Amino acid sequence: MIKKWFVGFLVLAMTMLWGCGGSNNAGGTSSVIDGGAGEDATELSYWTFVELHGQHFEKMLGKWNQDNPDRQIKLNVTVMPYDDMHNKLSIAVQSGTGAPDIADIELGKFPDFLSGTPQLVPLNDVIDPYRDTIVQSRVDLYSKDDVNYGVPTHVGASVAFYNTEILEEVGVDYKEIVTWEDFKRAGMKVYEQTGKYMGTADTSASWQASMLLAQQGADYTDEAGNPQVNSEAMIRAMTVLKDLQDNQVIATIAGGQPDTEEAYGEFNAGNYVSAFMPLWQMSRYTNYMPDLSGKIAIAPIPVIEEGMPRSVGGGGTGTVITQTAKDIQLAKDFLAFAKLSLDANKEIWNTLGFDPVNMDVWEMKEVTHNPENAFVQYFVNNPFDVLNEIRDEIQLIKSTPATPTINNILSTTTYNEIFEDGKDITQALNDAQQQIEQELK
Amino acid sequence: MIRKFLYSQKVAPYVFVLPFILVFLIFWVYPLGSSLGMSFQQIQLGQEAEWVGISNYDKLLGDGIFMKAVLNSAVYMVLTLVILIPLPMLFAVLINHKFMWGREFFKSSFFFPALTSVVVAGTIFRLMFGEMEGSLINSILGWFGIEPVKFLKGQVTGFIALLALAAWRWTGVNMLYFLSGLKNIPDEYYEAASIDGASSFQKFMKITMPLLKPTTIYVITISIYAGLAMFIESMMLWNGNNSPKNIGLTIVGYLYRQGIERNNLGYAAAVGIVLLAITMVINLSQLTLSGMFKKEE
Amino acid sequence: MNKEIWPRAALLIFFSVLCFFILVPFYAVTISSFKPGEELIRYGLNLRLDLSVMSLDNFIYLFTGSHSYFMWFFNSLLLTIVQVSLTLIVSATVAYGFAAYEFKGKNMLFICVLLIMMVPFEILLLPLYTLTYNIGLMNTYSAIVLPGIASAATIFFFRQYLRGVPSEIIQAGRVDGASEYGIYIRLILPVMKPSFAAMAILNGMNSWNNFLWPFMVLSDANKYTLPIGLKTLLTPYGNNYDLLIVGSFFSIIPIFVLFIAFQRYFIDGMTAGAVKG
Repeated sequence: MIKKWFVGFLVLAMTMLWGCGGSNNAGGTSSVIDGGAGEDATELSYWTFVELHGQHFEKMLGKWNQDNPDRQIKLNVTVMPYDDMHNKLSIAVQSGTGAPDIADIELGKFPDFLSGTPQLVPLNDVIDPYRDTIVQSRVDLYSKDDVNYGVPTHVGASVAFYNTEILEEVGVDYKEIVTWEDFKRAGMKVYEQTGKYMGTADTSASWQASMLLAQQGADYTDEAGNPQVNSEAMIRAMTVLKDLQDNQVIATIAGGQPDTEEAYGEFNAGNYVSAFMPLWQMSRYTNYMPDLSGKIAIAPIPVIEEGMPRSVGGGGTGTVITQTAKDIQLAKDFLAFAKLSLDANKEIWNTLGFDPVNMDVWEMKEVTHNPENAFVQYFVNNPFDVLNEIRDEIQLIKSTPATPTINNILSTTTYNEIFEDGKDITQALNDAQQQIEQELK
Repeated sequence: MIRKFLYSQKVAPYVFVLPFILVFLIFWVYPLGSSLGMSFQQIQLGQEAEWVGISNYDKLLGDGIFMKAVLNSAVYMVLTLVILIPLPMLFAVLINHKFMWGREFFKSSFFFPALTSVVVAGTIFRLMFGEMEGSLINSILGWFGIEPVKFLKGQVTGFIALLALAAWRWTGVNMLYFLSGLKNIPDEYYEAASIDGASSFQKFMKITMPLLKPTTIYVITISIYAGLAMFIESMMLWNGNNSPKNIGLTIVGYLYRQGIERNNLGYAAAVGIVLLAITMVINLSQLTLSGMFKKEE
Repeated sequence: MNKEIWPRAALLIFFSVLCFFILVPFYAVTISSFKPGEELIRYGLNLRLDLSVMSLDNFIYLFTGSHSYFMWFFNSLLLTIVQVSLTLIVSATVAYGFAAYEFKGKNMLFICVLLIMMVPFEILLLPLYTLTYNIGLMNTYSAIVLPGIASAATIFFFRQYLRGVPSEIIQAGRVDGASEYGIYIRLILPVMKPSFAAMAILNGMNSWNNFLWPFMVLSDANKYTLPIGLKTLLTPYGNNYDLLIVGSFFSIIPIFVLFIAFQRYFIDGMTAGAVKG
């Protein structure tokens, strides 16, 4: 008796093991978007860590397939968590197997993909036609030796998001907040009257630190690209934040920074009044914090001293094409169309709520002030009014080979030591500097 | 001819164990060898490897984060041994007691957590130990008037969460190992002891414990292995391999970080070799001390 | 009788309390699977029974929504069945070789089995990864099944079990003129049935829940297994908690069914294969 099921199992097992390779279509993933493509369309695979990016591509794909009936494309979108996607992509790209045709790489991870001989396709020729219309510094972020390997998505200008409902309750006008001192006074008022915190002390990301460094014209690295996280400017930046925390103006948040699911919940519940984030945080509001609709105002970030630049480009995604891509020319042309054309830039705002790299779009009132737009509807004021006010003040934090290491040390260890454990700022930053140097040795 | 050769009593055993020999050579000896080789090289996928002698090991010695990882793994292993050996043994003895009601039900319920995947269990525990007031553990603490705790941001509290997860998943499994060991102890021993007037405690110390020794050694061996190789639990609990201040970083986590996240294969291989050395030293000395090898002969 | 009631009650209470702690997380997940994902993000995982926010929506979404859950589920099921069957058969065969014969190099080989049980598989991740790549098994299920096909712990367990099987069976087989392989297949395998049940459960658990290695080897989203798939839902940019919790809840069921079905043999099998001095 046992023999029968034994043989049965064996046969079943063998056939399944060797026979299951090709039967993938059975599952029917929802992630293949055809954008009205016909039978002959080339299927390209695309990896991203932000589901919304896929939606943007879906829109642009429809237009592409309409305009290019002989070069139609189907896009197979895979969404993975941030860390996993970058790790998998890194292995796949380096080993030359299993990589998708097109992929999103986040700015903080990009230098890892540029080490040695980049296994990515140079994109200069397809970027060239648009070079005059887009912000060059955003392209430079994804380049090595003047070769462009990634197409930028947005400028990522940092702005402040204020919950006006709570501010009105305590009689604070966010428009009058210009310096961190103003912010501190307002925050102390908020805490006294409501017990809520004015803002967050970020422990797991560098957004705030970048803003405060940029205001002082400083960076995490020196001119030569060597890490320098214990600089005067960095100490000053941390001191400003620590002082805010000591006065109950800001506090650490679940998740460690505003762009985490735990934090969405905290913000949505009104436990924190403001967030300082790149403009793309808008889409997190509309998607994950429905209760705050009509209550959030956008404004320039406070500065240490009046007259300092009020914004810095934060985050960013470079979309790349891998060397192993199926049809490199097709992928390149589509990518440029989907992210750099004027239509694309408009859609990047419409679908994603990002500040597009083509700054001409910033002035197209019919696009930016379209009353149908979900972002226009959600926020108290129009984001582009703020963007246009600060457009010449948007600073840049350099991306260097040391950047991933710097980010990792600061946002796993240093910020936690400073804001959770109350470790001395200079000491914490010196330790960080030492650890970074050790790792880069 | 070949058939006759293959069917002879001399050759048959080799045919039987052949799959093991193949797997052992292909998937253990070869990778171990290449791992050892890699550890003396500077390698990045997609680039030429370069021999660098012992400099990877040299760098490891001065690497504070690696030391942190070793310490975390070691502490985790010791604490899991302290929790997951005596308690399951005690539970097994108690549940085996003749006065026990509902034995089968409890056995199944205790085993139940082991059926969940670490991915699922880790996520559940991450949410339970969330720092919000409404998260399960904090809401329970709230009943006793205790302020919400940021469990996953502190070294000690983070380890409490890790150990809770381990205890939850493995108590039942270890209990079953001990139960199967208990079943092999003949009842006559206890009856004889009872006639001699031994107390329950004496019986436990003089009969149960010594006769459970082989089982105990087995459970200790796999627990040492599991403790030192722990990684996914930490990864799920902190939703990534980067816990604040690396409080949840383990040796395998560091290997993963260097090898997979940083594409620093040579250095990661050195981490692996050190882990291998630590595991072998601990386990072999444990087995020697307990006299396992003498019996095996 | 009266003398027994107190120890009985004490034991019952003791184990009930323990049982309560063990079942709390399951209870929390079950409750949460009826709540919208937002609720979970906002208030955390808790024990609150709030009927006003609870609904069957997540389950409806699980069964009718457009997502890959059942593809992962099917992949996991397939992989588990294949992996467990092959591992059991191969490991049992090897164990028989060790248990039934004396041959040159046996002791050394068996020490290798014991050593493997102590070597953390994780240290081989990187070389195995490059090996898998070099022999062209990347992104295949074979890459997951093959390295574990002669599982040391399973071999060890089966050998222990076979030591309890009287060698007269083998002798009798030889007298009857059965070949060495015929003896194994016709006479020994049937005797091993209870140990197969025990190992099916343990290997099934491992395989169903296996994460790290499949996660590294599989790059095609259509081949993802359940743990890998569920982990892809853990991103702040997806709003996936609706599916995540109900999916986690549902993922426990098959392995639970397997456990209940084989439970009868499980303890017996474990007992017979237990480590003896």
